[in-house]
Amino acid sequence: MGVAGVTLALAALFLLTKTVQRSDDFDRLQDIILAINIAGGVILILILIGNLWRLLRDYRENVPGAKLKARMVGMFVGLAVLPLIVVFYFSIQFINRGIDSWFNVQVEEGLDNALMLSRAAIEFRKRQNLVATTQVAQKLLTVPDRQLVFELSMLRRESGASEMTLYGVNNRLLATSSDNAANSFPKPLTEEIALLMQQDRPFVSLEPLGDGRAEIRTAVAFTYRGNRAREQRTVQAHFPLDERLGNMIDSVENSYSEYQQLVFFREDLKDLLTLTLGFVLLLSLLAAIYGAFVLSRRLVAPIQDLVAGTRAVAMGNFDTRLPTPSRDEIGFLISSFNDMTQRLATARREATLSQALVEAERTNLEVILARLSTGVLALESDLRIRTANQASGSILGVNLENRTGESLRDVAKDNGLLEQFVDVALVHLDAGETEWREQIVLRGEVGRRVLSCACTTLPGDEDNAAGYVIVFDDITALLQAQRDAAWGEVARRLAHEIKNPLTPIQLSAERMRRKYLGTMDEEEAQVLDRATHTIVQQVEAMKEMVNAFSDYARAPDMDFSRFDLDKLAHEIVDLYRAQENDLEIILTSDPTMPLIEGDRGRVRQIFHNLIRNAVEALEGTPNGRIDVQIAVAEINEIEFVQIRVMDNGPGFETGTMSQVFDPYVTTKPKGTGLGLAIVKKLVEEHVGSIHAKNQSDGGAMISIRLPLNEEAREKMIARGPGRADKRREQA
Amino acid sequence: MSRSTPINNISPLRRLSIALFVVLVLGTGLAQDDIEREGYFEVRSASTEQQGGVHTLDARLQLVLSSEALAALESGVTLTIEIQLQVIRVKRFLIDAVDAELAVRYELEYRPLSQRYIVKNLNSGDQDTFATLYSALNSLGRVQGLPVIDDALLLPDRSYRLRLRAMLNTQQYPAPLRLLFFWRGQWQLQSEWFEWSLER
Repeated sequence: MGVAGVTLALAALFLLTKTVQRSDDFDRLQDIILAINIAGGVILILILIGNLWRLLRDYRENVPGAKLKARMVGMFVGLAVLPLIVVFYFSIQFINRGIDSWFNVQVEEGLDNALMLSRAAIEFRKRQNLVATTQVAQKLLTVPDRQLVFELSMLRRESGASEMTLYGVNNRLLATSSDNAANSFPKPLTEEIALLMQQDRPFVSLEPLGDGRAEIRTAVAFTYRGNRAREQRTVQAHFPLDERLGNMIDSVENSYSEYQQLVFFREDLKDLLTLTLGFVLLLSLLAAIYGAFVLSRRLVAPIQDLVAGTRAVAMGNFDTRLPTPSRDEIGFLISSFNDMTQRLATARREATLSQALVEAERTNLEVILARLSTGVLALESDLRIRTANQASGSILGVNLENRTGESLRDVAKDNGLLEQFVDVALVHLDAGETEWREQIVLRGEVGRRVLSCACTTLPGDEDNAAGYVIVFDDITALLQAQRDAAWGEVARRLAHEIKNPLTPIQLSAERMRRKYLGTMDEEEAQVLDRATHTIVQQVEAMKEMVNAFSDYARAPDMDFSRFDLDKLAHEIVDLYRAQENDLEIILTSDPTMPLIEGDRGRVRQIFHNLIRNAVEALEGTPNGRIDVQIAVAEINEIEFVQIRVMDNGPGFETGTMSQVFDPYVTTKPKGTGLGLAIVKKLVEEHVGSIHAKNQSDGGAMISIRLPLNEEAREKMIARGPGRADKRREQA
Repeated sequence: MSRSTPINNISPLRRLSIALFVVLVLGTGLAQDDIEREGYFEVRSASTEQQGGVHTLDARLQLVLSSEALAALESGVTLTIEIQLQVIRVKRFLIDAVDAELAVRYELEYRPLSQRYIVKNLNSGDQDTFATLYSALNSLGRVQGLPVIDDALLLPDRSYRLRLRAMLNTQQYPAPLRLLFFWRGQWQLQSEWFEWSLER
């Protein structure tokens, strides 16, 4: 649009230049030229107002590049306006002085004098001719009408007039004479002459005829005194001036007139040229200002693009690409910016890809860590928990996965096992050990727990560690299994090595008794009898002990079947109720409970051993009471049969709590130390769990969980970190 | 003879341009003196009369020169005064048609040596001289028996109207001066159209 305005203005100026040379074109086109000029000017002014308004708005709103643009516009306008104004000023001065130089006081005076001189000369001729005409009038005062033509012709020739006419009343033509025979119709008297004649005033005038010709016209009124009545008559005469004089008159008049015209139009010419120059200046100024806006916009546009691009990059949009405007420095800058954003975008894509890979690895690692039965605990250098897997929480008895970011010391305050764990770990960490291994024994309410612990330090900057990774495994069950295996081996060897010589010893003792008892005197016979009896009794006792060992070591195949546990429990409890009259044995069970799937004989032995263990523990305890509770429960979608046997006896000694299921650990005077060990073994053969603890109000409690069926047993095998050792053991 | 409402013939564009010029002139210090005489041309009366099958015009015009035009005349500038006449065929439903146009141009000139005003009919070549400007303009403003159009050239059953105006013609001046005159009201001397119906 701005280009249209400038084009219109230029076109108008061009048309103006062309049309002023031809009057017809100017008349025809002046309205169009005016319209184009006004339209071009108005368009330019509107555009400039719009541009200025936008610039001010951008400036106030701190739009990037607005201040630079304003400065550039001001600079360009200044650069354009100052020379234009200087040129305009000096042009006006030049025009004014140039036009003034056309005029000269001496020339003007010369022309005035020439005119005055000419007038004086003409006045002389006019007076001569008027006198001649007056004389003709005097001679015609009494000339009869019939002689008028003749007399007038004669008088005309005498006076030197080219034409002479006599008018009567009401300007009636009476006679005329002319040296031009063709001119038979003289002009009537003009109103001016007629008026003067009525006033009886003579008329004389220089009459230009054009083409360098001129004449002096005279008219004189007189009163005719002929034979008729008197009447007013007028004689009009034309006295020609010779051609040379006519040309001189024309020359003087034309020169004077032209000079006077120049003088008259001098200021107008100045005004016109000033106006034209001013109009051109105005259009040039508008065009220059518009050009300043366009130029500034073009120069600032790449910078604005750069600012916008930089902001976009700052916002994280690395896909920003700017159009390269040119091959100059700004173009190079934009090209460099595009290269930079492209590289940033590539780097970000690679970083995102790497991050995704890391995330994938991390997810995999988390899955692996979650599935690991080994506890993994990653710590920051200040012992804040970075990450911990599920197994670590299970082993240490606190959910560490949800405590990420917290200090391990703070978390440990609420948990006894973890506190012991942290105490041991801090000993090594405070000592600055980068790698250490230790078997840690934690003591808890349900017994001791043995952890195999290894720690390594994550490399950091210089001497500072980035963190620690502690890997630990609950090897309590493993150690227990190893111990059980060792005891089983001992039992087997005992059974094998001890049981075999016992029978010959017993038989030998009985044979000695039979053979020599009768041959000895009474006193020796009594000694032999007591000795052999003691041998036989002790051998029997040893046999029982060896058989018990044999039973512990023996591991016949499991014979799974479905049976009613409630009924079985009632049978066993009723048996003990019959035997132990001084004890109160309470069985709490659900008759409608589903059938359990297990080895009926082993389960029976479990009940026997537990109740016998309780009975033996209550020996000597007044008001002994045994509670047997059987219930079906579902924990973590696994159906269990939970068996609890509780007594109100002295309970377990605190020091042996963690070893109650080991062979030969007993607090009872008559205990063999194998009862609970065998129970534990039978329970574990059912993939169950067993716990022992002292009740808060005294007495011991053995708690057993047996899977209800095969499905539950498989789930138990599949789950639980505590079961991993069992799986390994079974394998 | 009949009279009707004069029609304003100054275009809005020219008015706008004159306004713009005034602004420019004020800005460049070229303002003219408002107390100068504006001058005016006016058609006082006009009528046609059919003589021998030809319609002739009798009209009285009031021609008053503006100060600037008068000064130019006194300085030897020849003024051209043009009398324009249009014969317009009246149409009932369409735009009226100009069937004939007549322009009579007169030159008014002051001769400094003889100190007389010359009025020259450029159409016929006749010229008269006058001692005063008043008598010259009075002579110019009196049109008598000017043949306009032969009645045979007009359609017999149609009605016509005529309109007449007088104007100061500046076409003979150099173009730069005409450009200047174009902006100046003192040189924009032009009467409004005077209209009347043609009696046949």
